[in-house]
Order: sequence, then structure tokens, then C-alpha cells
Amino acid sequence: MSGKIAVPVFPGTNSEDETVRLLGDCGGDAELVHWSDAERLGTYDAYVLSGGFAYEDRIRAGAIAAHDRIMDFVAHAAERGKLVLGICNGAQILLEAGLVPGTSVGRKPTAAFAKNAPEPHFVCRHVYMRLAVEPSRSAITAALPKDALVPAWAAHAEGRLAATPQRLDEIVAGDHLAFVYAHNDGTVDAAAVPNGSALGCAGLVNRAGNVLAIMPHPERDGWNFNHPDRCEGTDVLAPSGGAALFRSFVVAVA
Amino acid sequence: MGNGLTGAPDVALRDDELQRIRERLGREPTTVELHAFDAQWSEHCSYKSSRHHLKRLPADGSTVVIGPGEDAGALHLGVHDGVRYAVVIAHESHNHPSQIVPFEGAATGIGGIVRDVLCMGAEVIGVADPLRLGTNDAKGHPGYVARGVVDGIGGYGNAIGVPNIAGDAYFERGFNENCLVNVVALGIVREDDLIHSYAPKGAEDWEIVLVGKATDPSGFGGASFSSLTLDAQESEVNKGAVQVPDPFLKNVLMRASYRVFGLLRERKIVAAFKDLGAGGIMGCSAEITAQGGYGAEIDLDKVNVAIEGMPPEVIAVGETQERLLWLLPADVATDVLRIYNEEFTLPQVAHNARAAVIGRVTAQRRYVLRYRGATVMDVESDFLTGSIRDELPYTEVIRHQGAVQELPAVDIETLFPAVLAHRDVASREPIYRRYDAVVRGCTVLPRGTADAGVLAPIPGSRLGVALAVAGNPRYGRIDSGFAAEFAVLEAMRAVVAVGARPLGLSDCLNFGNPRKPDQYGEFVAAVDGLGRAATRLDLPIVSGNVSLYNESADGSAVPASTIVACVGVLEDVAQVVTPGLKETRSALLWIGSRELVVGGSVLAEVLGIEGPLPSISYGAERTAVGIVRDAIARGVVRSCRAIRDGGVLTAVARLAFDAHLRGRAIGAEIDFGNPLCEAGGFLCEVSDDSEIDLTGTLRIGETIGGSELVVNGIRFSIPQLYAVWSQPLAELYP
Repeated sequence: MSGKIAVPVFPGTNSEDETVRLLGDCGGDAELVHWSDAERLGTYDAYVLSGGFAYEDRIRAGAIAAHDRIMDFVAHAAERGKLVLGICNGAQILLEAGLVPGTSVGRKPTAAFAKNAPEPHFVCRHVYMRLAVEPSRSAITAALPKDALVPAWAAHAEGRLAATPQRLDEIVAGDHLAFVYAHNDGTVDAAAVPNGSALGCAGLVNRAGNVLAIMPHPERDGWNFNHPDRCEGTDVLAPSGGAALFRSFVVAVA
Repeated sequence: MGNGLTGAPDVALRDDELQRIRERLGREPTTVELHAFDAQWSEHCSYKSSRHHLKRLPADGSTVVIGPGEDAGALHLGVHDGVRYAVVIAHESHNHPSQIVPFEGAATGIGGIVRDVLCMGAEVIGVADPLRLGTNDAKGHPGYVARGVVDGIGGYGNAIGVPNIAGDAYFERGFNENCLVNVVALGIVREDDLIHSYAPKGAEDWEIVLVGKATDPSGFGGASFSSLTLDAQESEVNKGAVQVPDPFLKNVLMRASYRVFGLLRERKIVAAFKDLGAGGIMGCSAEITAQGGYGAEIDLDKVNVAIEGMPPEVIAVGETQERLLWLLPADVATDVLRIYNEEFTLPQVAHNARAAVIGRVTAQRRYVLRYRGATVMDVESDFLTGSIRDELPYTEVIRHQGAVQELPAVDIETLFPAVLAHRDVASREPIYRRYDAVVRGCTVLPRGTADAGVLAPIPGSRLGVALAVAGNPRYGRIDSGFAAEFAVLEAMRAVVAVGARPLGLSDCLNFGNPRKPDQYGEFVAAVDGLGRAATRLDLPIVSGNVSLYNESADGSAVPASTIVACVGVLEDVAQVVTPGLKETRSALLWIGSRELVVGGSVLAEVLGIEGPLPSISYGAERTAVGIVRDAIARGVVRSCRAIRDGGVLTAVARLAFDAHLRGRAIGAEIDFGNPLCEAGGFLCEVSDDSEIDLTGTLRIGETIGGSELVVNGIRFSIPQLYAVWSQPLAELYP
């Protein structure tokens, strides 16, 4: 019997349906929970914060949503070791809420996903995320192979990891740098990074390994029909590509 | 124009129109009535000088579910799990607002077109943005407009979570003072869930429910503003007529409306739903009731407003964005209000946003507005909304054929890079990388990788939808009718090139001043051309729009711009033709017209010459499409592009670039007299041409290993050509 996954919806969220659908196609039991229904959130086993522009990204992406009632439940669950995955706006919210990288005590942000550089605007670009920690570092990535390459789409204006040099050192030393941007052969250089992110960071994990924040969207490259020229097997409707990360998440929830 | 708060009765109605109103009412119109007729009888709402011409366009066909006349059209897509699905399409322009305030103008263009699809009961699955912009000079006003428009389209579409899957951009001096911002939106809907934008039978005494943003003075006078020629000195004043976008609220409105659709399906209720566009509350509520044979009584005091003290004509006619209107039985209205206001908390999402009952449907066919207990408008519904017609004189367009000149010897070595770097050919990536192409997770071919965008819009279904746009202003400058015909051909070919079967079309006719016989003549010729091509190719036009008065201060019109969108279906998305050359030793076939003419081509611009336009043969076109579709169905097509701007050589280069970007070192060797001519047709990379009907088909070369294009013996490096092609727009869109 697998655990129940909530995909909370804030006003302004926009990637919720495909997130629920891919979790389902990967064997998970996921459903949407709207903001006006937030009190239901206590009953779930895991959470996926999907992409979008929660609360219009006022002040800073994720800044308002981080203080929403929804996040009281998510933070409480995270503290008790439940799994939380944040994608794009969901990742920004987790950072603003201080749940990742988790180098400080309490819900205080210690790093930010700041305005992209050198192109300071929304960029939509296909990318690969390379797993930069041991798979077992996080329960969410435990079913991925070492150095796994996960195809995904970067689609954001604010995804550049920014922090003080000391905080960046802590991120590296604490093994928080979960994913880096890479080319399709796994090599890493500045050209693979769509947004100027420090450390080439595409994803961060908290100390305990149960909260993962990734900027690119694996669910937008999550079925064979999303990448017909990289079709795996014969079923164009089958989950593939970015679905590997969702499968690993679902396995960990079960 | 009034400033929107004083309610000054300065309207664009002509004297003869005012006289007609006085005679029919038997009295002087009230201020509210004056503004209502001003909006409703504007060109923008009434199509008074275009509607009788548009009747010549084909609107019927086996694929048509809903033809023109509602907020959007619908085409039968296919059957999944025993359920019939339709793809909904709407097409509009937001030209005048975008020239004045580019970001807001373009953003509200996307906002409006999305509502047109939403109100058919459909889920919005994609948008497209055909743009005609001023010369691509990064500095100066045209550059400011070009950037603002793109930022506005991205800023809005990205936030509501609808992918941008198709579009194009042409840059040319003729659009310096009048940019054209066309917007297309697609939706998906079960055919039995379609909602119409008119009152159904038995709607008497139903509630009229206004939903969305609090009404404010923005966009007051918008309809008549769009129907006037822009004057630079007036532009500061006109800014007040442009609406303010709120994609955040729209995001929530869309999701709440999807929930309402579910409720109506469960309870088997036939309701009516319509977007508020030109003419605001008045225009929308008058049309939705009158088209069902009813009248309406509206109490303006029940409208949720952003500021107190607005005059009734501003509340009634102002064009505040992000609003829609339902007609619902009273008991259902209560539940719908709960969904919008409580479940989706509209009042907390934006200041005083909500769903509210503002009036009721009446059996008498009168349109009545009350304000603070007084009747401020009381007119016959049919007189207000009925068709009015301006028979304007026009000059027959004489087809301008360029003199037949001896083609100068074409020096491919210098001309090919010059064509690739031309503003009409160079990579559009600096534009579309600002647009979310993949939100909703349904994208099969994102923008930029193929001639058409492709989606798999129904979860669990293999059905695919393709969308492409076309409308070449280089032809428009020469011959309006030809340009319209060719736009249909180009949009259709683009859809065929990705493996789809064309289903139907939408269009927007962007022209100058209908009161100038020569400019009106260009419009009439375009309607003829559009109708001829659509009829001969069996492609119904299910949605369309007309934008007139695109005229500069010196009295000249924009290049004739018939912009066409074509929708196609893939029975199985696995059959999609994927980007880029695939393998070495494939045959490269040119299927279709290979006429060696240069009129209207990029090559002609680069060389500074003129020449005859390509001829159009619908019989040959249908044959070419048949050959391509058959070859794709048999699985022998490895890659394909429609031949457009920059000719067959550019098509080969685009396929080579896409292979290069995917790490495949595949080039091509081709041999053809003048491969920069643009007569049309398809370029196909095929594994085996033994079974292809080679009538009308020419093998122009084959693919080779390595990263070179060899053209008539001249060698080009593909990475170097790619650099030439990908750079030109980077300065305008840093």
C-alpha cells in the first residue's frame, strides 16, 4: 500500500495537473489540495510543491507562499521526516521557507533562487540535471543510479542560486548540492547552466535528505510523447525521461 | 477621448448614425446609451465595413463543430475512449493597444484570446503569437515596441500556465507606426460539454452572473479607440483606453471555471458563458441574451467596482480585463458563486474580485440598465446588437507583377549567409525562449524545432494537435490577394510537415483605413484570396477577426496582412515527424512547386530586385500534400520542412541545424540551380524513395556524414552557418 501524496495548490500555481498525472503514471497515489482546503493537508504521507507563480511571485518568487497556511503543514511534515519535493516555484518556496538547504536552524532562508544571469528574464530551455550526491543521500533519489542524468525543462526567471561565500561553502561541505546542470553526455560546464546558478546548482537537498528542491521541471519531459526522438520502448504514452525522478520519489513514499 | 471618469460624451459615432439612433428611440439618447451605441456600433464590435465581405469565406465542412459567430470556433479532433473531442480555436488582434503600451497591450491580447476559448467550456491548451513589428533596430520606438510586446506575451502566458507553441515574427518598416500583435488560442473540450455564448432555450428569468476582476475605469472607450487611426499626439490620451492585465487573477479564474464546467456536466445543465471584450458588461450581456432571442435587465449597482463614484456609462461600457459572464438558472448560480468566491476565494485573490448576480434574462427583447434606481438605458436589444452595415467604395486591386528581370548570377557563397542572416529568416529563439513552451506537460514539438507546434492534449490519448501560423508581409506589400492565398498554403504546409492532417483555419485580416478606397480594396482582395484558397483546399475558417485602421500618420497603411492559423490532427502522436536530419545517405526530395521566381522572396530583398510572384496551382498543391502525407504514413520520412522564407536551401539548413544541436554530425550535399527561390513545397529527408510517386518531385541531393553543407559544389560549415543564423535578433532581444 503506497502512501498518499498531496500536491498543494496556491493561488497562482500552474503545473499541478501534469505533476499529479506523472506521479500517478509512476505508480503514486497523488491528488490536488487547494488552498481553501489546506486544513486537509495534515493527513498525507508526502508532498510535491509544483511550479507556477504562487501569489504572483510578489516581493520575490516564493516569498509570500512560504508563509502561507499550506506551508505550516508542509514544514511540520518535513520536520517529522516526511518527503517533500519542490519543483521550480515549489523549490523557490522551499528555499524561502528555509526548509532547504537547511544550513540554519529554524525557518529562515539562507540562500535564494535569484534573478537569472546574464539573461535577466524568463528562459525556457531543455536541460539535464546530473545527480551530484550519492543516490542514498536523499530518500527521494535513492532509486536513481549514481550520477543519474535527468532530462527536464528549465522555465523560470529566478533560478540562480545565490548565497554568501560562506553559505555556498556550507552547501558543498554539507552535501546539499543534489543536482547540477549538465550536458546530455553528463559533462558539466557554464554552457550547460541556463541561469548563471552558483555551483551550477539545479537542486538542493536538506540535511536530513527528506526535502529536495529542484528548479527544472522533469514532469515536462516525463512521457515518451514529450521527446518523440528519444522514445524509450514503443509506447508513446509511457512515462520516461524525467519520470525517473518521480518513480524514485514514489518508491520512497511507498 | 474622455478620461474615463468624467463621462464626457465625446464619442466616435458619426452624425448619420446618431440620427438613426434618435429616430429609432424617438428621443435623445441618454449618456449611457450614447456610449453603448458608440461601442456596439464601432468597427471593432460591429464589423460594419467587413461582415458582408466575410460571408464569402467557407465556414462549413465535415470537421466543423462550431463555425464562426461565437467567441471561438471548434473542429472535430477525434474520438478517445468513445468520447468525441473538439479542438477550439480563437484568433484576434491587439494591434492598437500594443503600439501604445506594448507590454500591457500584448499581455491583454493573450488574456482576451484565452477567455474566448475558455468560455466555450474548453480547457486552454496553447497559444500562438504572429507578430509584425517595426524594423529590428534595437534603439528607438519600434525596438521598444518589439521588446515590450514579447515581454507582455511571455509575462502573461507563462503565468497562466498555457504553453506558447507557435508564432512568427516579421520585421519591417511598414509596421514602425502600427505593430500587429495577433494572438491565437487553442482549447480542448468534449463535444458534448461545449458551452455556447448565447442564451439557450428556456433561459427566461435566469440569472446574469458577472465574474472576475472588479470593474474599474481602465479600457473605457477601448472599442471605438481600436477603430480609429492612431495619432502619435493622441497616444498619451489613448493610454487610458488600454486595459490592465492580471494573469494572476486569470490563472485562478481559469481553474475555477474548469471546476464550474465539471459541476454543469454532473448536473447536465446547459448554460451560456461569454468573455467580456469590447463594450464591456453592456456589449457582452446584450449579445449573449439577444443572440438567444432574449433581453436583459441589469442593475449596475450590483457590479463589483474597484472605486466608488464611477459614472454608469463607465461601469457599463468600460473594458476592464479578466471578466466573464454566465447565464445560469438561479439554483445553479448559487453553487457557481460558491465555487468562485469561496472555493477559489476570488475576493482574496484580487481587490473586490468576485462572482456576482447583476441582473436577469428577460423575455421582452429590450436591453435595460438601471443605476441608483433610475433607468439609464432602455433600447431594443436587436437594434443595439443587430448587424449594421457600411457599404464603402473600394478600388479594385491591380495585381502588381514585378517586371520579369533576368536573374543576376546567384553567388551562393555570399548570398546564402546573407539570406540566413536576413531579419525574416534569422533564428527566432531570442523571442520564443522567453515563452514557456512546455507547461501542462503535453508538448510534443515545442516552438522553434519544427514548422508547427504539436501537443498531446488529452491524457491517455494518442491524439495530437498541430498548430502553425503564416502571413508573409513581403507578399502583402506586392499583392494583397496573393498574400492571403499564400498564407493559407504556408500555414497548411507547416502542419503537414510535422505529420498532421489539416483540419481547418482561423484568420485575422489586418488592414488600413476602410474609408480610403485603395486601402479598403486591399482588404476586399484579401478576403477573396483567403476564401479562394480555403475553398480549394477544403479548409473551413471557423474563427476570425478583422483589424482595420492600421494606418500611419502619413496616411499609409501597413503592408496587407492576412494572418492565418492552421490546426491539424495527428491520429497518433508517435507518427510525428521529429526535428533534424537523421541519417547519412538519405535522399533529399523537393516535393511540390519549384518555380524559379523571386518576387517577394528574401533573395529579392537581399539583391534589391523585383520579379514575378510564384503561381498557385491548387491541384498541384493537393498532389504534393498527398505525396508527403503518404510517405510519412509509410514511415519513410526521416525529417521534413515546408519551404518558406529563404527557400529550399534554408529548409535544408534548418534540418541540419537541428541535427547539429542534437549532436548528430550530418550534413547534406545538394545540387539545384537557384536554391534560394521560395516558390514553396516541401523538403523531405527519406530513407527510401523507391515507392514515392516522383511525379512533381525532384531529388536534389542526399545527406552526408560530417558537418558540412555542400551546395552546387560550394562547401559551408554547419556550425558557422548556425552562428550566422542564430545571432541577428540577439541585439534586439538581449
